[in-house]
Amino acid sequence: MSDKLTYSQVNRDVMRPLFNATSLWWGFMAIVGLGLAYGAVCWGIQLVWGLGVAGYHPPVFWGVYITTFVFWVGIGHAGTLISAILFLTRSRWRTGIYRAAEAMTIFAVMTAALFPAIHVGRAWQAYWLFPYPNQRQLWQNFKSPLMWDVFAISTYFTVSTVFFLIGLVPDIAAVRDNTRGWTRRLYAAMALGWRGTDRQWHHYMAAYGFFAALATPLVLSVHSVVSWDFAMANTPGWHSTIFPPYFVAGAIYSGCAMVITLMLPLTKFFKLEAYIHIWHFEHLAKLCMFTGGILTYAYGTEYFVAWYSDNPYEWGVFVDRVVGKYWWVFWIMFMCNCVLPLVWWFKKVRTSFMGLFVVSLIINVGMWFERFNIIASSLAHSFDPAAWVYYTPTYIEIGILIFSFAWFLLWFLLFVKIMPSVAIAEVKETLRPPLKSEGVAAK
Amino acid sequence: MSTAAATTAADVAVKAVYKQLDCLLQAIHDLQAAGFTDFQVMSPFPRHEIEDLMYKGEPSPIRWMTLAGGITGGTMIFTLASLTHANWPMIIPGGKPLISIPPFLVITFEGTILWASMMTLFGLLIHCGLPATNLHPAIEDPRFTNDCFGIVFTSTGGQTAKILHILEHSGAIEVSNG
Repeated sequence: MSDKLTYSQVNRDVMRPLFNATSLWWGFMAIVGLGLAYGAVCWGIQLVWGLGVAGYHPPVFWGVYITTFVFWVGIGHAGTLISAILFLTRSRWRTGIYRAAEAMTIFAVMTAALFPAIHVGRAWQAYWLFPYPNQRQLWQNFKSPLMWDVFAISTYFTVSTVFFLIGLVPDIAAVRDNTRGWTRRLYAAMALGWRGTDRQWHHYMAAYGFFAALATPLVLSVHSVVSWDFAMANTPGWHSTIFPPYFVAGAIYSGCAMVITLMLPLTKFFKLEAYIHIWHFEHLAKLCMFTGGILTYAYGTEYFVAWYSDNPYEWGVFVDRVVGKYWWVFWIMFMCNCVLPLVWWFKKVRTSFMGLFVVSLIINVGMWFERFNIIASSLAHSFDPAAWVYYTPTYIEIGILIFSFAWFLLWFLLFVKIMPSVAIAEVKETLRPPLKSEGVAAK
Repeated sequence: MSTAAATTAADVAVKAVYKQLDCLLQAIHDLQAAGFTDFQVMSPFPRHEIEDLMYKGEPSPIRWMTLAGGITGGTMIFTLASLTHANWPMIIPGGKPLISIPPFLVITFEGTILWASMMTLFGLLIHCGLPATNLHPAIEDPRFTNDCFGIVFTSTGGQTAKILHILEHSGAIEVSNG
């Protein structure tokens, strides 16, 4: 943070972008609207005609939908990592960026949550996933990783949302005190009557610490549970104990890259450079370099274990990924996740706007293809050569993939115009308070 | 500095507004030394110095609610999974028990975290008195969410003159009563 900032200036700067929708914002919204419309038509076609309109080809019944589901759950890791784990480790660089990163997490999980409903085809029966006392006394199988996943993601979503909203309360109160009319009444309702009394702060800080401590194991557990969706099955290419840490590292890698992708333009457009410096992004880039290193190592370990196991089915899948029909998926993944991001080892690249933005986009592309590589290539090249197929997505699946990005961006664009995208109270906490003993005059 | 006229009215509200943190801390200290405890300190962000003076290391009782929530949630969800499998027995070949601890641990963990979080939220709302309505007008000052600290007595209990005396000599930018 800049030393020259004052408390009232923080209020002014952070609230400036609120409410006044610029033509640039409307332009983004128009693109989002087009994406939503196209995707909604595709989903509508699937609801009417059934899953036959997807490119499924027995035995491949997990394709773009599950890939996109895992992709968005992964994106949803960075926000809570930054807001909870970096809070507990008292990392000062989290302050400027954590609010928008947390919002991104919630919107990413909201996007991921659409996909089980899309994937099952009959979206109106998606509630069968939850245990409820139904008439036939049919119950879910709690030994199934798919059930663990329902619980893991719904818990993660609930806890992250509560953590996010609790963090917002003091800032919404600040917005309330800066507005008039119906907006004031709206923000007054959302601020729950927060005034910043000593009693409120005392309990608030205790609760915030607990939320951070409770959210921390969730960050690490959610993608571990998602990885068990694959690792608990005996399909070649999936049945591996390395999956949980490998998935968590990948999730943090893609999540931090998405934070960079979203927050670089946000900082620029909203003129928040006094709060979010290039060194914030450099820290994120370093986190990506670290998790990207783990990911590359995990890829190598996977190949070593497949070879060393002397299991022809396992090794067959891994060879097929590199040189088989899905070679292009593997090489996009490998280049985008392991090779191209290495340019961030040069400080000049990871501290430049374009260097950060372009590489973060590359990582996002790579991480989507990583999930496609794991899911589609394993199913398409399983035990029986007679069942080997080549699954490719149809325009319906691509349309729904576009829908997911539009849906995610819709919420993010609404968020930046309705809520303070930088944590006002926490930024003030990091500033040096005016002291009479130091002769700092009251401004 | 605008100073309100001292009054000896039995029970009025008093508000002091500060720009400088050390003045606020000194005022809290002086008030406590004079035996006053029934006042509220307002700030736009948390400061540990204020918490140390006002609560003297006393932890928030929310922690017990978090613990109770975690234990309840974990127990409940493990019971749910066990009863579910007892009611709808799926005998999986390989001699695995019907009620099996390792796979149930995953959802037990999730239930523990979920309930601990919900009880923390509940505890926060209860202890902070949220949602708060009909607050005293002296507390509802927009400067307290912007750039000022404050001390507010919603009731002076007949000690108005003494309180005003302390506050007016504490470096406040504004002291008002009534």
